[in-house]
Amino acid sequence: MKLFSLIENEVIKMISKKRLMFVFAILVVLISVFAYGQNHTTERTKAQLTQRMGIAATDDWRKLADQQLIDMKNRLDNPYRDEKDKSSLRVRIEQLQYNLDNNINPLEQSAAKFTTRFMEQSIFLFLPLLVIMLAADMVSGESSSGTIKLLLVRNVPRWKILLSKYLTLMILEVIILFFAFVLSVLISGFFFGFGGWLAPVATGFKVIAGKLDTSTVLNVPQWHYTLMVYSLAYFVAIVIGSISFMISILVKSTAASIGIIMSTLVAGNFISYFLSDWKITRYMFMVNLRLTDYLSGSFQPIEGMTMLFSISVLLGWTIASILVSFLYFTNQDILV
Amino acid sequence: MLKKSMWYSILAIACAGFILLASGFYKAIMVTTMDSPQSSSADPITQTPEDSTHSSKSPNTIQLLILGDSVAKGTGDEKSKGFSSYLPENFKNNTSKEILVQNAGIDGLESIGLLEQLQSQRLEKVIINSDVIFISIGGNDIRRILSLNTLEKDDEFNVRLHSYQSNLKLIFKELRRTNPNSIIVFLGLYNPYERATSLEDARLLNTWNYNTQQLIEEDRNTLFIPTHDLLKYNLARYIAQDGLHPNSAGYQALSNRISKSVESFLTGL
Repeated sequence: MKLFSLIENEVIKMISKKRLMFVFAILVVLISVFAYGQNHTTERTKAQLTQRMGIAATDDWRKLADQQLIDMKNRLDNPYRDEKDKSSLRVRIEQLQYNLDNNINPLEQSAAKFTTRFMEQSIFLFLPLLVIMLAADMVSGESSSGTIKLLLVRNVPRWKILLSKYLTLMILEVIILFFAFVLSVLISGFFFGFGGWLAPVATGFKVIAGKLDTSTVLNVPQWHYTLMVYSLAYFVAIVIGSISFMISILVKSTAASIGIIMSTLVAGNFISYFLSDWKITRYMFMVNLRLTDYLSGSFQPIEGMTMLFSISVLLGWTIASILVSFLYFTNQDILV
Repeated sequence: MLKKSMWYSILAIACAGFILLASGFYKAIMVTTMDSPQSSSADPITQTPEDSTHSSKSPNTIQLLILGDSVAKGTGDEKSKGFSSYLPENFKNNTSKEILVQNAGIDGLESIGLLEQLQSQRLEKVIINSDVIFISIGGNDIRRILSLNTLEKDDEFNVRLHSYQSNLKLIFKELRRTNPNSIIVFLGLYNPYERATSLEDARLLNTWNYNTQQLIEEDRNTLFIPTHDLLKYNLARYIAQDGLHPNSAGYQALSNRISKSVESFLTGL
């Protein structure tokens, strides 16, 4: 039996189980709530600013931006500043200039900003949970319902069956990201308008010896940045998918495998608070999930971690999980 | 049939998506790991400040040195002038000498930053030749406590005031070691958030200003210029669009006040 039709079979199984519909529904509900909340927050920030500065600063944002632009240009000329600050200044000048040229109030949200922000916030917990929903019972579900013997009595090598399941998972992970992207664009576009894809966004930060190094900062268009964020999210989805895939093979019970992987993930979110001195936590996959923060330069979980380090760690976990999965699945005795 | 078509659309989306995401992933790695462009290795700070033509003191000039934060620098002035233009303009009425200005203000500077700037000796030559040294510092030290809640605020205020005072002492020591004779004009703090300020915050600001004035007037050749009173009811006129720095009119008003206060000193030079 060809691999292609095996994958087709798996995907159709997934569609019949309505899992994808659940993911879709969860995304619709959550994104609507977040978009509404964001809308509310933006309104409140504006009100606060107006109260604090007395003037309707939010409507006069052009004057304010003009002023900031002049100040920053002056700062660029200041001989008492070092080169490092200057490159980040240039980046900010470019952004302000873009806002002015295109008449975009920097306080306003846009669908592009929201879509990116949503994935940046989902990458370390929400997205993995969605992936787990699909991955955790791919194999254990077959074991607990007994259908695994129907699969295995066919004249297909075991590794091929497992491979088809794994590839199906990779396909469905793209679908999750596709759903997340399309839904956040549509829903947030309804609140904030569909624009903002060409606005410049700063990236290229580096953290060296605990300090933010801005000498390599540059502006990329928003859509470019969004693509990078979603790509990193896909990588994270593959990592989490592989690990829960492995657990689902090892544990055989769907409930237990979901429980194990979820508790590990949740623990990972506060493990760096308790154990940040302990070097070994760096090699856990949970603390390395916030890849997008390396793009925005906002956060470094543990001193000395970089993008390449995190990606290598995650890749290591993925390869190990896949190896364990295949070795165990092809060699185990299946008793039914 | 429906499932069949769903399968094909899923496959199509997945293939296209995979290629797109793979390229994005590659870009993300490139962006975060690229090497920094070979920036000019020489530190520009060491070279630029002293235009050697002016650095030797001549009897026919008055040298004005402006130190401190963004207010010293002139941030917020829509004409990009600030104190470094308005003060000399006003001084000209009282003296026939030529006035030379050096502005070493840095946006966001706190007292510790100013101290480091002075201790690094970069400005030593300029300080030695200065007749009037103008300082605006402290705004950034105190500004950060505004966002704290009332319980933390009092403690943090005391901590900050304390470290500010000791920094200020060292700043004066450093300045006087280099130049014992110049007059030092020190700008007090104003409150740009007058509308949103509680009574408690106003008290803290007054404490800050009072302590500053006490401290700097231990040195005999100094002048504390209050700004709070001048701006309190004139925020709309004197504060720039950013809601924090003075605007052009604000800098002019402050400069007028300063030059009135140093009139006789200037004529005596």
